[in-house]
Amino acid sequence: MSVLQPSSPSVLSAAGLHKTYPSGDRTLAVLSGVDFAIEAGQSVSIRGESGSGKSTLLNILAGLDRPDRGELHWGTETAHQLSLGELTARRGRFLGMVFQSYYLIPELDAFANVLLGARVVGAVGATERTRATALLERVGLAERGHHLPAQLSGGERQRVAVARALMNRPKVILADEPTGNLDERTGDEVIALLLEVCAEENAALVLVTHNPAHAKKTNRQLALKNGQMGHA
Amino acid sequence: MSWPVYLALKQLFPSGRRVPFFTLISVLGVSLGVALMLVTMSVMGGFGHQIKKMIIDTQGEVQVRARMLLDKPEAAAVEKVLAASAAVEAFAPYATGMVMLEYQSRPAFPAVQGFNYEQMKKVVPLDHYLTSGSLDNLDDDSVVLSSLLASSLGVKVGDTLSLYSPLALERAKHNELLLPRDVLVAGIFHVGHQQLDSSTVLCSLRLMQDLYGLEQRVHGYNVRLKPGADEYAAAAALNQNLPAGTRALTWFEANADFQAVLSFERNMIFFLLTFIIIVAAFSITSSLLVTVVRKTREIGLLGAMGGRAQHVAACFCVQGLFIGLAGTAAGLALGFTLLHFRDNLVGLIARMTMGPEAFVKFYQFSSLPAHTLPKDVAMIIIFSVLASTIAGLIPAWRAAKLQPVEALRSE
Repeated sequence: MSVLQPSSPSVLSAAGLHKTYPSGDRTLAVLSGVDFAIEAGQSVSIRGESGSGKSTLLNILAGLDRPDRGELHWGTETAHQLSLGELTARRGRFLGMVFQSYYLIPELDAFANVLLGARVVGAVGATERTRATALLERVGLAERGHHLPAQLSGGERQRVAVARALMNRPKVILADEPTGNLDERTGDEVIALLLEVCAEENAALVLVTHNPAHAKKTNRQLALKNGQMGHA
Repeated sequence: MSWPVYLALKQLFPSGRRVPFFTLISVLGVSLGVALMLVTMSVMGGFGHQIKKMIIDTQGEVQVRARMLLDKPEAAAVEKVLAASAAVEAFAPYATGMVMLEYQSRPAFPAVQGFNYEQMKKVVPLDHYLTSGSLDNLDDDSVVLSSLLASSLGVKVGDTLSLYSPLALERAKHNELLLPRDVLVAGIFHVGHQQLDSSTVLCSLRLMQDLYGLEQRVHGYNVRLKPGADEYAAAAALNQNLPAGTRALTWFEANADFQAVLSFERNMIFFLLTFIIIVAAFSITSSLLVTVVRKTREIGLLGAMGGRAQHVAACFCVQGLFIGLAGTAAGLALGFTLLHFRDNLVGLIARMTMGPEAFVKFYQFSSLPAHTLPKDVAMIIIFSVLASTIAGLIPAWRAAKLQPVEALRSE
């Protein structure tokens, strides 16, 4: 077993991922045989220079993009054999995503944004509403549920995004530079929150970050360089 | 509520925020189109309704027409059928034709309608349309002229004019001279219908029969139905019993050509007005396309959250549908309000332009008629909602085509 992989059964794993992009007359290899695995409740950080393929890897892990070659497993499911449509149908319940720019729906208040995760994958009932309320409370925004994103600070918006990502009790949270738009103190708070709630929910956390201090807080620290994954 | 519908509603009418400008403009565009269509179709319907009333008031709901002239036994047979019909309230025989009329060396060639006034007044309320004189004075030596005919000849009530029978031509072939008949003008009528008002003479049935040498024969009967009776059913029932060579026609069938013109005009106006809604639909398309571009990352997010492409597309289609529904509802409210206050508006326009008197003089009306047909309202609703929904299809297709990974990466 590779040093990049955990010893117990992984909730998300990839093997031999290759991804190239056309760049003028040439082909740019972004991922060249990347292996990756993470088990439930574990946190892994991925660092790397801009353009090293961190976001590409995250998109492939999320099933938003397809590798040229390689395998992707969502739990026991061979995700690389599923179509993008089939991946979309499973994604909402399997994983949650947190982005640098929050991507909250501006017309919805914080509570509705959190609940949207449940709406997209199915009906919304009392159970989902209770969970959305509990999640908002957990991220420290119990009193701000009826505020629109425009009425929240950057840190508060990212907390809402974290709550939204956790709404459907996903097995994995993929966070793509979630502190990129936040000041240092707020960024630290958001990372601490992410790690705490993922641990509480037994969700695996894949954190793409430039910040070494944030990376160090995860269980394992990996780095992408020249299309290869290695220890940071 | 499914999430595309929920999100579409929230994007159009967000809670806790002002309604977006795009929503307002789009709804306003549809509502103005709907209001204009409703008002125009209702006013057209109003004129049509007035014309129907005028036709019924001057001809009755049903006319029994003979292919040839009806002599006394045939007329009696027709009268027997009419009298036996449960739907018929009253009927009156008539004879009709053309004559030459002369007043102070000015000739005219009007249509003449002869009838027995005592019978005819139970069928049509001619006295309602009399502007001067009296129908009670109508005898075998007098006539009633239509208003435009009287004014073109310069005739007033009490004047005498000459009627030349078409029989004069026939007699002339046999070197006989048939002198014109001098008749007194007993009254002048105005019904508000150009064709009738410009060239019509009313006279007694006997005078008409004399002028045409009809003896006691008639051309047909005007029939008044009992209130609530259906003219089509009544005409169909009469046709089963009327003698051969006679046929009962509804007011609509008796004026089929004129009705066809009216119907064509209505359809053309509806067709032309649909372009207003089509333009509004284009503006919805354009606004929603801008929204798709503006919300590219949110569309990517929905995909990342597990939202399927067809649901993302439905979100934009539903926005078009809601704009259509809201615009149609607002348009109907505005249209009915305008119709309610139409006379005030016409009065205002008249005062601001040529003055109320001139308005009546030139346009023949001081109040704007309106008659809204449920089928017109239904057509307007269906068309505007359909056009608005279709307007959302192109933006929906664009949104569905966006790959979440590309959308999330967009700047």
